[in-house]
Amino acid sequence: MIPRTVDAPRTHGSPAADPATPAVLLSGVTRVFGVAPAVVRVGLRVERGETLLLRGPNGAGKSTLLRIVATALSPTYGSGSVLGFDLLRDRDEIRRRCELLGHRTRLYEDLTARENLRFVCTLYGLDPSRVGPALERAGLADAADDRVSGYSQGMRQRVAVARALLRRPELLLLDEPYAGLDEEAKEVVDDAVRDAGAEGRTVILATHDPGRGDMAGRTLLMDGGRLVPAGSASS
Amino acid sequence: MNLLRQSVAMAAKDLRIELRGRYALSAILPFAGTLLIVFGLSLGPGRTLLQETAPGLLWLAVLFASVLAFRRAYEAEGEDGALEGLLLAPMDKAAVFLGKAAAVAAQLLALEVAVITLVVGLFDLSLGGAPFVLAGAFVLGTVGLAAVGSLFGVLAESPRAREAIFPLLVLPLATPVLVAGVKATSLATTGRGGQAGGWLGLLVAFDLVFLAAGTLVYPYLLED
Amino acid sequence: MSTAERMMGRLTARRGEKVLGLLAAAGVIATAVLGLWVTPPDADEGNVFRIIYVHVPSAWLAYLSFFIVFAASVAYLATKRIRWDRLAAASAEVGVLFIGLTLVLGSIWAKPTWGIWWTWDPRLTTTAVLFLIYVGYLAVRRLPDSPAKRARWSAAIGIVAFVDVPIVHLSVTWWRSQHQAPALLHVAPRMAASMAAGLLVGVAAFTLLYAYLVTFRLRVGRLEDRAISEALSPRLEPRSAPVEPPPTPPAPKEVSARG
Repeated sequence: MIPRTVDAPRTHGSPAADPATPAVLLSGVTRVFGVAPAVVRVGLRVERGETLLLRGPNGAGKSTLLRIVATALSPTYGSGSVLGFDLLRDRDEIRRRCELLGHRTRLYEDLTARENLRFVCTLYGLDPSRVGPALERAGLADAADDRVSGYSQGMRQRVAVARALLRRPELLLLDEPYAGLDEEAKEVVDDAVRDAGAEGRTVILATHDPGRGDMAGRTLLMDGGRLVPAGSASS
Repeated sequence: MNLLRQSVAMAAKDLRIELRGRYALSAILPFAGTLLIVFGLSLGPGRTLLQETAPGLLWLAVLFASVLAFRRAYEAEGEDGALEGLLLAPMDKAAVFLGKAAAVAAQLLALEVAVITLVVGLFDLSLGGAPFVLAGAFVLGTVGLAAVGSLFGVLAESPRAREAIFPLLVLPLATPVLVAGVKATSLATTGRGGQAGGWLGLLVAFDLVFLAAGTLVYPYLLED
Repeated sequence: MSTAERMMGRLTARRGEKVLGLLAAAGVIATAVLGLWVTPPDADEGNVFRIIYVHVPSAWLAYLSFFIVFAASVAYLATKRIRWDRLAAASAEVGVLFIGLTLVLGSIWAKPTWGIWWTWDPRLTTTAVLFLIYVGYLAVRRLPDSPAKRARWSAAIGIVAFVDVPIVHLSVTWWRSQHQAPALLHVAPRMAASMAAGLLVGVAAFTLLYAYLVTFRLRVGRLEDRAISEALSPRLEPRSAPVEPPPTPPAPKEVSARG
């Protein structure tokens, strides 16, 4: 089978989302890097307001899957919609409503935490007054005006968390958000997940931290690029 | 006017990073100076030869400096996945192209002032009586180099990219800037500034074509 | 579409390619015969002049192929159909081949007539710069790890590079202000009818050769894509759905005999 199109087709007219559609709907989504498949034929349905926990070993494809949902990567095969918008065609609509806290913190080394977040506000058209409270919530009020290059790994991750707190996205994607965080900061992430759940927003949380994720309504296992039914994952 | 606002934010962010890191000042400027010394040595001490070749050497130094400046500007985006952050922002991606071009153009212009001073000293180049033609050539040429570099610098951030890819792609595309810049500079410095109109026009055409093409094409380079 | 129809389609496609190849070969032979024997030697340059019958056609083809790269790139971005990307890639590879040939043939011609291998003539310089630009294009094609990204990146370069061509040419033309009319216009008045015929046959033959090489390269591109998807498909098959019934477990005897 040779795909005829590997890219988003051109569309006309403005996209319109149906609020009744699930938050995430993927069918047959496969992502290949070169000839190495990272995500294989994933079908996934996540309802609106759901908090989904994604577990699996390193290299299982969790990050790739979340990046596909966030439209940072495009699926090699397969299709899907996020919040009712087509994964390939309506990327900007998805991006407006979705936030990915990835395993790279996306910070500029030579800027301070505050400057980094203010820049994010400009890109998203947010009120810059949100930066202070977000930094405070992530426990960075004292270090907010230091350059990121002097930060420890845990502090960088705190900035990334603060960045995710700037907005109240309809879909929050968290990829190993606890990495390098101390217990106090992990609680901040957990609070953010619970808040989103309480407000009816959707969360997908990928982590292999065994002590985390108990607020999730449903757990899925991922292994070798595939979603496997809970309880049957190979160790 | 979102595009303008976002481009300005991009450029301001890049300039702030540059002011903090001082890469242009601490690495690119010494590099350009070294190039000029090496050029001088390779051509021998003959004064007239050095004077005649000075505009060419000047522009070569600017060309190589622009390659380094763009490598640096995109490295800052690649260090920790910041480019992905730009990709995921619901903004016109052309703002990234325009903002980065503007920021690097500003750095290059500052650098050129220093390089020209060096050339005047090292090669005994007299700036001549056409300062506006000279300034025009450098401003227009820099805008062109900035447009090409901002457009294709993003390719060099690909994980499989090799160091040589970016100069291999950019230097041939930028030959018109080199030729027109050198010609306009040598006309301006030898008191024939009035004849440089065609070359300046060529630079304007190059700038417009690459700014327009970059604005249209850049989003395709950024998306996965 | 049934399997038989698909087979037929593939067969006729291969036949079309073969016919093109034969026509191209015939054209190249005809060009050689016309160029080497039928046409008279040039009044000024003698037999060296005969190189024109391959030099001009290959230059024409280089420019044609880069125009096709440009058109296919625009078509790709407009339709996102991967076949346009394959066409752009095929045309760029063939174009780099022909432009390299043009430069080499030009040098061979220049040495006996002008006494030098290379001169900074506008057409030569433009051609050399183009050669480098499209070598860069081919280098970039190797970078991305997804076909969609590769297609988009190369389409962007394919468009920008072609738009740059006239500016490059204009700049080097002004740069060498002593410009001469293209070789063809220059020599046209003293060309015998057979010479013009040789040139026309050469252009036709090389165009057929170009079409053949591109068709061939397109087929290789399709096969590459199929090989990749076939190499992938076992890894993409559902794991827990065996197609065949599981084999009967071997008898314990055999196991111990082997062990």
